[in-house]
Amino acid sequence: MSRFELFSPEGLRVDGRRYNELRAFDCSINTHPHSSDGSAYISQGNTKVLCLIRGPSDTLTTTSGATASSADEPTISVSIIQPPYATTERKSTSRTDRRMAELSIIIKRALQQCIVKKNYSRTLIEVSITILQLDGSLLPACINAATLALIDAGISMYDYISACNVALYDTFPLVDSNSLEENDLSFLTIGIIGNGDKINLLLMEDKVPLDKLQKLIDLGITGCHNIRQLMDNVVREIGIDLLSKKL
Amino acid sequence: MSIISITTPVSKNSEIENFSKDDEDESMYDDAIDGVLKKPEKKYIGIDNRSIVTPGELITEDATWMRGHGTYYLDEHTYSSVAGMISKVNKLLSVTPFKGRYRPETGDHIVGRVIGISNKRWKVELGAEHAGVLMLGAVNLPGGVLRRKSDNDELQMRAILKEGDLLNCEVQSTFSDGSASLHTRSLKYGKLRNGMFLKVNSSLIVRTKNHMHDLPGGVSIILGVNGYCWIFKTKNNVENKINAATGKAESEMKAASSSKGYSVGMGSLSITRLEEESSWEIYSDKNDIISANIKETISRYRSCLVALSFCEIAIDVKRLVKAYEISLGYGDVNSLVSEDIKKSIGEDLINSEKMRG
Repeated sequence: MSRFELFSPEGLRVDGRRYNELRAFDCSINTHPHSSDGSAYISQGNTKVLCLIRGPSDTLTTTSGATASSADEPTISVSIIQPPYATTERKSTSRTDRRMAELSIIIKRALQQCIVKKNYSRTLIEVSITILQLDGSLLPACINAATLALIDAGISMYDYISACNVALYDTFPLVDSNSLEENDLSFLTIGIIGNGDKINLLLMEDKVPLDKLQKLIDLGITGCHNIRQLMDNVVREIGIDLLSKKL
Repeated sequence: MSIISITTPVSKNSEIENFSKDDEDESMYDDAIDGVLKKPEKKYIGIDNRSIVTPGELITEDATWMRGHGTYYLDEHTYSSVAGMISKVNKLLSVTPFKGRYRPETGDHIVGRVIGISNKRWKVELGAEHAGVLMLGAVNLPGGVLRRKSDNDELQMRAILKEGDLLNCEVQSTFSDGSASLHTRSLKYGKLRNGMFLKVNSSLIVRTKNHMHDLPGGVSIILGVNGYCWIFKTKNNVENKINAATGKAESEMKAASSSKGYSVGMGSLSITRLEEESSWEIYSDKNDIISANIKETISRYRSCLVALSFCEIAIDVKRLVKAYEISLGYGDVNSLVSEDIKKSIGEDLINSEKMRG
């Protein structure tokens, strides 16, 4: 199937992880305080994503009048930029790339469900995502970064959305897949609202045997919960730090 | 030479075997992941003032609380919808976010910028979600309080305030969508001149009774509640009077009959100071002559504000003055731009506050 041994008999993956281990997860918020209302940087292994949020702002004052503002909910616009240096092969993607357009619609839908809409009538929330480095699990990284940036922007939301990819190797589900695994295995992306089992996003572009699907989803949910916990820890730490400075 | 051997952990292996045997016992590997990541135990968050909550966190199961901003209600439980601090006022429970756009409240003293003129109103940018509106009827028109507003005034709105002008105003009322209606019907409000603009995060500004302060060094500051600040040369009272007098003469020439007939009736004295100063002068675009000394002081105060906001220290006038005093020890104003100095000003300030207790 592949030149690499994606999952060794000892139970180790190409990068030395076990089936249920996430890659090194690091995130920081408020990275760009001057150019945005909320910003977050996230790195999951070698996938590094930056998300900036502008808004909520008046729909009238923005020049991009393409989106019609609806009366009682915010307009969310998501744009994803992938610079040529993001992947191992240097190639530029155009702004009208269909893959990116599709991703941005998926992210937009996921965020729409999570934001407390009634608080942001007639406003525009601009989410711009930059992929700095890409090594698999792109959509989850984008979703996680957007969640953190929304929190940083002080936008009301029902809960965190956390997402992760799960790949299937033979009968083993592998959480938080990297690009080597994603090239060879079929995988699905799962996004969870909060700490429960509320699935907010489920995307599968490959074929998976039906009896393995439940296993993938279950492992995905646990992975999402862990990611939520990691993000929550960072937000809390920053909160405590801020609180100590306010008297 | 040492040999690094990687032994396969027994426990993990057995789990994977379980897995391959299509074991339906899900809880087995759920526990395994928890073990790997050391999930911290969830602590009980009581409803103390100032305790930190994050989105989706359960605040209380008690349905008797009233739910304010930053919360939502689901199945008789109140949850937080933002990352912030709990604040309780009597039975009202709300969460103040750490950061976020400014939300106008009635009575806030703010600084804004005119971004547009439409039907009898100015659109004012406040750094909030929606632009504020300043109605023509809510400003002091040149020529005194008792003057009637005419169609002519409506056509001349751009002569009073035009796009790009900064003004100093108060929130008169707020609308349900969070936008604000403003007014400048007081002498302390109006167009801003003779100074420098600075934007800081609105959450850093401490709400106080007074937001306009005279600082040592012949400089004044407006710390707008929306985070927009204006540092300017302190108005000289004597000068002001002369200005007002000349302004009045101008206004009489410009605004012709209505104000003139009015002031003749009253003799040379006006009833109120408002009347005296409400001339075209207050909407002039011309700055006074500002000495190099004052300019330097203004930019020093600006650097101090930048340093405070860089260190995310809540800003009030006492701290600003203190930061200014500390900054004098760092020499030239130009040197205050560097990140290290900004940091150390912040640290010095916090230390000096700790010393005082």
